[in-house]
Amino acid sequence: MSKPQEFTIKVKADDPKKEEKPDDKPNFEGSSKLLKDSKEEGEELSEEDQQLKEQLEMLVERLKEKNTSLYRSALESLRTLIRTSTSSMTSVPKPLKFLRPHYPDLQALYETWDPSDDKSLFADILSVLAMTYSDTQPRGTLRYRLLSDALKPSDATLTDPGSWGHEYVRHLAAELGEEYNIREEDELEALPGTIDDLRALGKKCASFLTQHNAEHDAVDLLEELEIVNEIAQIVDENTYSRVCLYMLRCVNLLPPPDDISFLKTVHAIYVQYHKFPEALAVSIRLNDQELIREDFNAPGNPLMKRQLAFLLARAQIPLEWLQTPSEDNEDVDFTDELPEDLVECLSNSRLSTHFRDFGKEVGVADAKSLEDVYKSHLENTRPGTTANIDSARGNLAGTFVNAFVNAGFGNDKLMVEAEEGSSWIYKNKDHGMLSAAASLGLSLLWDTDIGLSHVDKYTYSSEENIKAGALLATGILNCGVRTEADAALALLGEYVENKSVPLKTSAIIGLGLAYAGSHRPDLADVLLPLVDSSNTLEVAGLAALALGFIFVGSENGDISSTILQTLMEKAEAEDKSLDEKWSRFLVLGLALLYLGLQDASDATIETLKAIEHPISKVAQVLVEACSFAGTGNVLRIQTMLHYCDDHIETAAKEAKDEEKKEGDSEAPKEENKEEGGKKEEEKEKENEKQDAMFQAFAVLGIALIAMGEDIGAEMSLRQFNHLMHYGDPIIRKSVPLAIGLISASNPQLPILDTLSRYSHDNDLAVALNAIFAMGLVGAGTNNARLAQMLRQLAGYYQKEADCLFMVRIAQGLVHMGKGTIGLNPFFSDRSIMSRPAVAGLLATLTAFTDAKGFVLDKSHWMLYFLTPSMYPRFLITLDEELNSFPVTVRVGQAIDVVGQAGKPRTISGFQTHQTPVRLGITERAELATEEWIPFAHVLEGFVLLQKNPGWESEEKMEV
Amino acid sequence: MGQTPSNVNDANQQGNQGNQENKDKAKDQQPAKKKWEPPLPTRIGKKKRKGPSSASKLPAIYPTTRCRLKLLKQERIKDYLLLEEEFIVNQERLRPEATREDRNEEDRSKVDDLRGSPMAVGTMEEIIDDDHAIISTASGPEHYVSIMSFVDKDLLEPGCQVLLHHKTQSIVGVLQDDADPLVNVMKLEKAPTESYADIGGLETQIQEIKESVELPLTHPELYEEMGIKPPKGVILYGVPGTGKTLLAKAVANQTSATFLRIVGSELIQKYLGDGPKLVRELFRVAEEHAPSIVFIDEIDAVGTKRYDSTSGGEREIQRTMLELLNQLDGFDTRGDVKVIMATNRIDSLDPALIRPGRIDRKIEFPLPDVKTKRHIFRLHTSRMSLSEDVDLEEFILTKDDLSGADIKAVCTEAGLLALRERRMRVTKADFTSAREKVLYSKKEGTPEGLYL
Repeated sequence: MSKPQEFTIKVKADDPKKEEKPDDKPNFEGSSKLLKDSKEEGEELSEEDQQLKEQLEMLVERLKEKNTSLYRSALESLRTLIRTSTSSMTSVPKPLKFLRPHYPDLQALYETWDPSDDKSLFADILSVLAMTYSDTQPRGTLRYRLLSDALKPSDATLTDPGSWGHEYVRHLAAELGEEYNIREEDELEALPGTIDDLRALGKKCASFLTQHNAEHDAVDLLEELEIVNEIAQIVDENTYSRVCLYMLRCVNLLPPPDDISFLKTVHAIYVQYHKFPEALAVSIRLNDQELIREDFNAPGNPLMKRQLAFLLARAQIPLEWLQTPSEDNEDVDFTDELPEDLVECLSNSRLSTHFRDFGKEVGVADAKSLEDVYKSHLENTRPGTTANIDSARGNLAGTFVNAFVNAGFGNDKLMVEAEEGSSWIYKNKDHGMLSAAASLGLSLLWDTDIGLSHVDKYTYSSEENIKAGALLATGILNCGVRTEADAALALLGEYVENKSVPLKTSAIIGLGLAYAGSHRPDLADVLLPLVDSSNTLEVAGLAALALGFIFVGSENGDISSTILQTLMEKAEAEDKSLDEKWSRFLVLGLALLYLGLQDASDATIETLKAIEHPISKVAQVLVEACSFAGTGNVLRIQTMLHYCDDHIETAAKEAKDEEKKEGDSEAPKEENKEEGGKKEEEKEKENEKQDAMFQAFAVLGIALIAMGEDIGAEMSLRQFNHLMHYGDPIIRKSVPLAIGLISASNPQLPILDTLSRYSHDNDLAVALNAIFAMGLVGAGTNNARLAQMLRQLAGYYQKEADCLFMVRIAQGLVHMGKGTIGLNPFFSDRSIMSRPAVAGLLATLTAFTDAKGFVLDKSHWMLYFLTPSMYPRFLITLDEELNSFPVTVRVGQAIDVVGQAGKPRTISGFQTHQTPVRLGITERAELATEEWIPFAHVLEGFVLLQKNPGWESEEKMEV
Repeated sequence: MGQTPSNVNDANQQGNQGNQENKDKAKDQQPAKKKWEPPLPTRIGKKKRKGPSSASKLPAIYPTTRCRLKLLKQERIKDYLLLEEEFIVNQERLRPEATREDRNEEDRSKVDDLRGSPMAVGTMEEIIDDDHAIISTASGPEHYVSIMSFVDKDLLEPGCQVLLHHKTQSIVGVLQDDADPLVNVMKLEKAPTESYADIGGLETQIQEIKESVELPLTHPELYEEMGIKPPKGVILYGVPGTGKTLLAKAVANQTSATFLRIVGSELIQKYLGDGPKLVRELFRVAEEHAPSIVFIDEIDAVGTKRYDSTSGGEREIQRTMLELLNQLDGFDTRGDVKVIMATNRIDSLDPALIRPGRIDRKIEFPLPDVKTKRHIFRLHTSRMSLSEDVDLEEFILTKDDLSGADIKAVCTEAGLLALRERRMRVTKADFTSAREKVLYSKKEGTPEGLYL
């Protein structure tokens, strides 16, 4: 609470100016006669002031006298004089000013008194006087306050500090904080009273502050006294929401133990006031299984339960978490206990129908063709070179664009609605067919019934790639929804052991995507054996990744130990396969297990340090970054930046140059080795890449940690600027990816400008990643400016097949779901981080750290890793029967209203729409009329409505 | 790599034409589908120059109330800046600037080559798109030229001076001109020496001006906490010589904010439209240097009540006032700009100027009462050597309508009289005759006793 104190000093700073005047006077007093007669007036007081001063002086005199019987009345009248004085903001109250010269006398006098009730009152007054006097004696106010309380008989109620006014309480609060800190540091008890006394006083001040619209001061004070959890008893139903809002905003900025205690306190308050959705949102943020279960079971209203179920479904909380733990329910299916409609809400099974209805409502139900997205007639191409050089690449790009743009609607022209035999699949070659078949899954996303039947026919294809693609499609379309039939596991389970590598990997990834975030132990049984070191690294890596998806943020000991085991064994055996590009997925799988768990990953990081292989460093970086994802922890960002400090590549090159020079002198010996030397050199290059790979992930780590907290996100963009300026190629090429991650689906002009600049970089790898990042940043926004930039890039790179491919993909991303599906992993007013979504984004970006090796090579299907982060950015209002129910809402830019007085508007520049509506990432909605009461606290996704019983239409009122 | 887009105009134009043909063909084939879409409006040239560029700007912090959250956020920003510093220091240590020098050198010399050495100066007339503009030169014709990629597009705006390549006429640089020199003069470079201590009395006025002008700039959070918007400014009024300008000077002396002062008559310009423009410029400069205080003395020069007038000059003055009205409470919100106006004829001001929401804090400067008079006398005589027989009370207690300025005049006059007689002290007789002189000159012009 250093701020308030500053203020009080400020007030004093004005004061001396006024008192300087008398000091100036002696200079001319000697020369001018008129001063003689004005001498007694001194400060030229008005009559009222003069009278007041005399009165005060008289009272002080009376205190100095021996007659104790007069003390009481003197003190009482002093008190009333001080209390009733009003003042302006810029000056000190008059009584305090006049009593100032007497303060030391009074202090001395106080010491001579015997303890009594009067003395307590005296201390009370001294405490107020000390407020204007804090420059000479630190914490005088607090000192006398405590003395006064101590002198009171134990049964008497303590005086309320609030009776002295707001400024006094603030002052006291500031001194309390200061005193507590000093005691913490050197345990010196300069002032009377114990820590408990301090805390008791603190609580009193806090309750005064909360009642007077200064809830932030109250929270700050209690936080300083380390009893923030006690605020729950102080708030009442008028103030709790503001207190909670303030505390929630603080969470991201607090050092580790405090943020959890803040969240827990907020949760307690919400539960106390029966705000279940808010409480549940906090529990999800805490990732506390027990709290989530309690919150879910707390409300009796079935409608409220449904609303909570929607929230849980959005967060993809495993169903099993809601199960009451008891000894013998191992085999009892938990879902049977719940009413059917709740299960439906929990498993998101109506997402697809609602999404399609929403599409119809906003007029984007019709499928879009590729040309609708490319708009190549607007491209600025030069004549003569219009022919597409690589038509296979073009078609492959078309596959993805078609899939992303028509995702979820299930009516695209190329795949789903194509006539038999003329499907787009057959316009692709070999591995392209895999992605083409898998695109079916994206097109039919969330549609588990019809989708499966569509995909089914391809699973019997004789072409291995098509079959593999169909398996992947099965996984993709089950992503984020649960079915009773559990089709994904049933269909894909058998292929996991298949001999064919494409079938096997597709099945693995399919399982990973379908059950992302579900924490289902039976899947661990299926996939865990594949991580074993006996398998090829490709299979092991992808299996680890799939496990990472499924068990994201679960800290599953079995899986982490298995992956660690594999790493260790391979490293010990000096297995060359660890140098392969697939190794990064193995460690990514490990890292995802600790997503958002903060310190829980310490042991794993220590274990990793023991492994002597460059990959271990990558793993350490990844695990650390993942465990602090979305926390905004500055210390971790610092470590990440330290990782980026070294210039490994250039250093190695220089070393090699030197070696060469030495080698030249020994030329005769080396001559015949020249041939072999070249090969070695290439290998060395590979190694260097491995060595420096951790830097790429460190850059991503900065974005991962900083995201979700606005200030950090904005400031990290500056860091990226520096990294781009100083960094090695490997760092430079990951910077655009990091920017894409930090502002996914949030196209802001400065970011677009930056990326647009990078997309023309001399280093093609940087340009390529920048183009993809542009796609991420604009994902699902239909941003016209971005679309124009991309069209311009398409013209610019028409001869670079790789870049053109990426431009097309980015175009597809920008129009994702025809502008209805976003990629941002934060929801519920950007407060909760969806772990599977982060996992999806991170996996895709990991693939892009070696774009040449994965996406531009045969593994372009890795773009489907984005599926878990895809979610429609809609607001659908539902009636009590869970049918879509249109009401008018206002949609506008969200404003942060924390700490503002009164009830300010939470949105600005709003427009009124009928639900369902789509919401941008920084937008917020509120109901236009009070006819309906929403169950959810944030209008986002599915919101249940209930008729407001007290509502009367305006027309009625007129009658 | 062949990626550099060609800068040669001809090739581009050809390309465009060829493209046009292609497009036409394509249109013939699928006329229905390919709808023409209007190009996005270009962003350059329209951005307001406001504060530091977005790249170096730090995030804004909410809430503005003083609380831990704000502190934490500020600390967070500081942490990040420290990280940046650490990183850069490390990098400079590992790889000093010198090693990168040659690369930069190369780039720089290339840009210099492209720019060419003789450069013509032209005026930007219109921006066509991101890379093209129409310019005019002093020699006459207007040209359609390209804008080089290295030109800072944020600085381009219609009407600005640009550097042109001597052969291709393409824009290679921007000449930055700062604000209207007329406005720059108004900026107060040297603070006046008068401080609050030099003001006799006027305590309530000082307090009011502090609360409505200084405090919103230094402690905006106090108002926010209350949930109110601080007043935009104040108007000081009162009979002549009561210290309006003096108080403004004291404010200028005390504040660290930019202080712009202007006299109402300065706003009346020779040419049509220049007056309103000056007002706009004035407020733009004030906003650029925010927090700032604008002091307009003798506002009645432009702010008189509107009436039907046939004189062009009158109408121009009225238009100047309309612009002032708009700047005070118009469509754009002014942030930390406070306005102080001074006049001695508040009754003649246009009611729109002093309506609530514009300048609604009216501070009256009355003639000094006895106490204030005493203070003022003392202030003015403090450096004078008075003889024993001078009893200032006598002057103070007279019933003359003496303003602060009159009192000063009396003291000066008395001093002059003493000086005329080469006396080292000012006597009572000096004061008496000085007072009479001042009172006489004050009443001059008004025929005494006409209405009695």
